[in-house]
Amino acid sequence: MFESSSPETPRVEQPPEREAPEKVQAFVGRRRAFFILLGVLVAQLLLLSAQITRDQKVRLIQVWAVAVFDPFARALHGMSDATTGAWKSYRELWQAQQQNRELQIQLVAARAQIQQLNEQAAEGRRLRELLEFRNRLPFQTVAAEVIATSPGEASKAIFIDKGTDAGLTPDLAVITPAGVVGKILAVFPHSAQVLLITDSSSGAACALERSRVQGILKGGKLNQCLVQYVMNEAPVAIGELVLTSGLDQIYPKGLPIGTVAQTADGNIYKNITVQPTAALDRLEGVLVVLKPPSGELQALNAPARP
Amino acid sequence: MVLSTAMSTPTPRPIEVFRMHPAVLWVTVFVALLLQTFLPLKLPLARLFDFPLLVTIYFAVVRRNKVFAIGLGTGIGLLQDALSHSYIGIFGMAKALIAYLAASASVKFELDEVLARLALTGILVPAHSLALLALERGLVEVPPPFQPLDLASGVLVNVGLGLVLFQVLDRFRRPT
Repeated sequence: MFESSSPETPRVEQPPEREAPEKVQAFVGRRRAFFILLGVLVAQLLLLSAQITRDQKVRLIQVWAVAVFDPFARALHGMSDATTGAWKSYRELWQAQQQNRELQIQLVAARAQIQQLNEQAAEGRRLRELLEFRNRLPFQTVAAEVIATSPGEASKAIFIDKGTDAGLTPDLAVITPAGVVGKILAVFPHSAQVLLITDSSSGAACALERSRVQGILKGGKLNQCLVQYVMNEAPVAIGELVLTSGLDQIYPKGLPIGTVAQTADGNIYKNITVQPTAALDRLEGVLVVLKPPSGELQALNAPARP
Repeated sequence: MVLSTAMSTPTPRPIEVFRMHPAVLWVTVFVALLLQTFLPLKLPLARLFDFPLLVTIYFAVVRRNKVFAIGLGTGIGLLQDALSHSYIGIFGMAKALIAYLAASASVKFELDEVLARLALTGILVPAHSLALLALERGLVEVPPPFQPLDLASGVLVNVGLGLVLFQVLDRFRRPT
């Protein structure tokens, strides 16, 4: 009979059929994001099914996406290739530098080896020449190597590596294929001292090849020799060969000593300067003439019978 | 009594919502997709990376907006589908789902800490892989084989990568 509601706020009652949609609306509103997600997933499922149904080769979205990304992918690829290339070039350059250094070292070593081989070849030639010369000689010789030279300018002497052990004795002639070197001055057990023909105290009997004028060879200045006791009247030509005459019983006859470098008339005798043919400042291998019995030596030194 | 109640009730900490400049968003998405297509050519390990997924998770967490996240995930996923040889929609669906989950988590939890992000990435990356697997097996005629080792490696690699990427992207965000 009396209404339960207050007179200030009249209660409006909703019809029952309007409550359900509002509840649904409220429900959907509270979970809006979830329903949007469902909608998106369903749309993509439909899209998938359409693709599988139609089986198109290339979709438009693919064309658009590739068109956008392709230039950047190419640029990135190009930059990556350039960087890789630069790094590779740097590494190759560094390796080439390393290799160059190693090759330089090898080159230096190879050059040293070539030099050594050249030296050995030259020595081989020299020794072969010496051997051939020795084989041609009508007397016995002993080959020896020059091992030292006497200190001091005044004394011109060398040391060889053969001594009494090789049967050497003093006053044996020492020669090379180019010419006479000197004679043995002193002998030791394993070495010997040789006085060069350019020494002032040396002496050898000599004769000029063409004129057959005889004289005495003495050591002179500047690695040259002098021929003494040749009369002013004797014919002597510059360049004439001076040979051993064999009269000193030391040097076998006919061995070359040197060539006439200068000649001038003196008071009585000529002043003849001889340049030795043997390279006395570059001696390496020499032959020591072993002394044959005196008869044989005389026979060697005797003039040829007509 | 009312006053004492008010004093004893703790004030809830306000949730920070960040914004990104639109250019940052577009450039990040673009670069992520570009790297995803390019890096595996140069680095074999890069085939395990998933830059688009990490970018999706990050922006969903930062924006804390589920609708935005769904749209972003769908867009990135469709672009990824367009650049791959598979059907359009596989990545779209997977990323839409993951973006929604990331945004939902960001609304409920504070995800600015490193550990929280680590945990979230560690859950969402395998969830994405499993979602892809389920979609491919359910919808594609010849699904790719299931490789658990790749899955596990991918999770580890992407969690690590995500930590780094999130730190870098944090520099560009602004509070609203």
